[in-house]
Amino acid sequence: MKLRKVLALTLAAAMTLSLTACGGSDEGAAEAPAADDTAAEETETPAADDGAEAEAPATAPAGLTYASINLGEDYKDLTTTIKFIHHKTDREEDGTMADLIAKFNEVYPNITVETEGVTDYQEDSLLRLSAGDWGDVMFIPAVDAAELPTYFVPYGTVDEMSQFVNFADQWKDAAGNCYGIGYMGNAQGILYNKKVFADAGVTELPKTPDEFIAALQAVKDNTDAIPLYTNYAAGWTMGGQWDAYLGAITTGDETWLNQKFVHTAEPFKDNGDGTGAYALYKILYDATEKGLIEDDYTTTDWEGCKPMINNGEIGTMVLGSWAIAQMKAAGDNPDDIGYMPFPITVNGQQYATAGPDYCYGINVNASDDNKAAAMVFVKWMVEESGWCDLEGGYPISKTAPTSFVFEGVNIVNNVTALPGEEDYMNEMNAESELSFNAGGDAKVQRIVEAAATGAETYDDIMSDWTQAWNAAQETCGVEVLY
Amino acid sequence: MAAQANTAGAKKGFLQWARSRRGQQIIIIVAFMIVPLALLFTFTYLPFGEMVGYSFYKMKYVGKRSFVGWKNYASVFSRKDCFGALKLSLYYMGGSIVQLALALYLATILSFKVKGGNIFKGFMFFPYLINGIAIGFIFKFFYTRGFVFDTVLQWCGFQLDNLPYWLRDQRINNISLVGTSVWRYFGQNMVLFIGAIMSVDSELYEAAMLDGANRFEQFRYIILPSIKTIVTLNVILSITGSLSAFEPPYVITSGANGTGTYFVVMNEIAHTQQKVGLASAMAVVLLLIIFAATILQKLFFKYVFRNAEDEDFGASKRRDKQLAKYAARKAGR
Repeated sequence: MKLRKVLALTLAAAMTLSLTACGGSDEGAAEAPAADDTAAEETETPAADDGAEAEAPATAPAGLTYASINLGEDYKDLTTTIKFIHHKTDREEDGTMADLIAKFNEVYPNITVETEGVTDYQEDSLLRLSAGDWGDVMFIPAVDAAELPTYFVPYGTVDEMSQFVNFADQWKDAAGNCYGIGYMGNAQGILYNKKVFADAGVTELPKTPDEFIAALQAVKDNTDAIPLYTNYAAGWTMGGQWDAYLGAITTGDETWLNQKFVHTAEPFKDNGDGTGAYALYKILYDATEKGLIEDDYTTTDWEGCKPMINNGEIGTMVLGSWAIAQMKAAGDNPDDIGYMPFPITVNGQQYATAGPDYCYGINVNASDDNKAAAMVFVKWMVEESGWCDLEGGYPISKTAPTSFVFEGVNIVNNVTALPGEEDYMNEMNAESELSFNAGGDAKVQRIVEAAATGAETYDDIMSDWTQAWNAAQETCGVEVLY
Repeated sequence: MAAQANTAGAKKGFLQWARSRRGQQIIIIVAFMIVPLALLFTFTYLPFGEMVGYSFYKMKYVGKRSFVGWKNYASVFSRKDCFGALKLSLYYMGGSIVQLALALYLATILSFKVKGGNIFKGFMFFPYLINGIAIGFIFKFFYTRGFVFDTVLQWCGFQLDNLPYWLRDQRINNISLVGTSVWRYFGQNMVLFIGAIMSVDSELYEAAMLDGANRFEQFRYIILPSIKTIVTLNVILSITGSLSAFEPPYVITSGANGTGTYFVVMNEIAHTQQKVGLASAMAVVLLLIIFAATILQKLFFKYVFRNAEDEDFGASKRRDKQLAKYAARKAGR
């Protein structure tokens, strides 16, 4: 984290310097002109273009946008070599990447794509980005939104792009241009084994906590599978996973997690209708109390659970959609692995939060030919390659076929904290020692222990949390508003 | 001018002193000591001093800190989880007594002529050489329901249904964890004991045998008194070690399910909750407790064994007396 900050600072400093060095006749805007300067040096393309792209005209060859490319028709005669650096070293090694490129070359035989899987991508990619000579397509590392035009080519406006892909607003500049398209999306729901559910006679996916517990009970009664595998011993699978459903999924309110939670007097009170944080953790408590989890939770094994769910020895696991690919790869029954929305219904609606994984970005300093080839490549990867689906990801392309079914669910995103309140959550987490979404595994493990041993009732734990929360609000000086 | 002459004189004096035998001695002593002392100070006492300083602040690793006085210490004593965790040390202390008894017993047997003695020594010392984290993983599987331990017990005729969950059952999971640490350390204790027993003069055994002493009496009256010092040392190390038990609960159960020892709680508070001040205060309190425990033990052993600290205490007293007598006779002459 620190390194990233230092890097970001260094980058910012370097850019400010280059700004002044480049002549600085126009000192009006901050970052966008920097992009113009560098781009103007690299490419001779005249910048003229119309309407929506007024902000970053010089960065892309005239008229080159994601929308304007017809795959399989345009740029067929373009001959060039582009380089793609990415973080999926496993896919580089098992040949998946080479297969994808081979399929791409069937359509575009003249565009040669070199790929490189980078270990420690998070750090390495930033270094390469600042060094400049990294290739043509990369997964955008952690850069400030204001610096996007300095490094990357816009695909078009966010509005325009939203017609083609999900999460087009992940990497956008102040002018509303889209600079990054995810290679796959991550959604929050529950991992389950379809065959186990079918054997148990659960035909409809549960939508409420009660239905979910009933489904687990059916799995216990009718099959030999463990209804809910908690992965208690791993730790991160407790706090890290269960906390992820706080917010829009449990309340239907996108502002709850990052804006209202810290100001809430009783965030853990029983709403009575199976919603809210209370209902979320109650699922775990009830499942444990009714014996619907693994027999000996203290000796669970993360690596061991993957083949178990694949072979139908486990009914459900509470994990993000990123886990799907791993579970599918762990055995002979990849088609049995399913993913369902979290079983909480707010006012008749189910919610799931989702966001993109790493996003493709195109080098602004590449030659025109390479930019065009790169854009073609990215569009093909997103729409035609099927890579996203292969990884079991939440779909990026709105048109590509997908096996990820989230029916009747509202995909939402928890909005960020209000300006000036960014640190509240961290402070409250530390002070209350509950650490939501910040490694607070012990508090979720406590629920399992309490339910298994009968040491505490669920309401005891919740009132304990509320007390800790209120004390922290007082100590941190956070106003109670809700 | 005068001043200059003075300094010149002083310089000459210093050089002369430096060349003298005494000066050489001191220079060499200082030159040799300064490196280890500097290292010791920089890497032990300075960080420790800093930590004591932190314990008076409410702070995270980054960000601003505010002075809170003794508040952190007050909460160490008022929080349930901090001092409650020390109760778990009793399990580890009990374990360390078992461990020492076992080590002493085996050391005594192995220090006599035993067939394959060295192989046994090697096998029993081996666990100490394994990394603590690896041991944690070994035992995690060892205790898993239906895995190694349960299988072995089933061979012995136990029914799986009658066996407890070694790590889940809160009544015995701490004992299970203590078992791992006994398994790991008793070999090391044993080797130390064997080393001490080796130094006992074998003629003593012969003499004892001639007097008709059996093995137990030999142990009771020859071996034990001869290795008192090393026994005392091992007891002190084990007790202080059990106050700061960390690896077994951290790796095997990650401190969950009522196995969080003082160190594990401290680690959680410092790293997950980021209450660095409070964790520092906990560390200082633990240090004081360890000091107190060590001093109490020393006093105890002094009382029980009289002169466990210095076996030749009586001898030196006698020698002093004799010397005094000699001196008096000389003076009288």
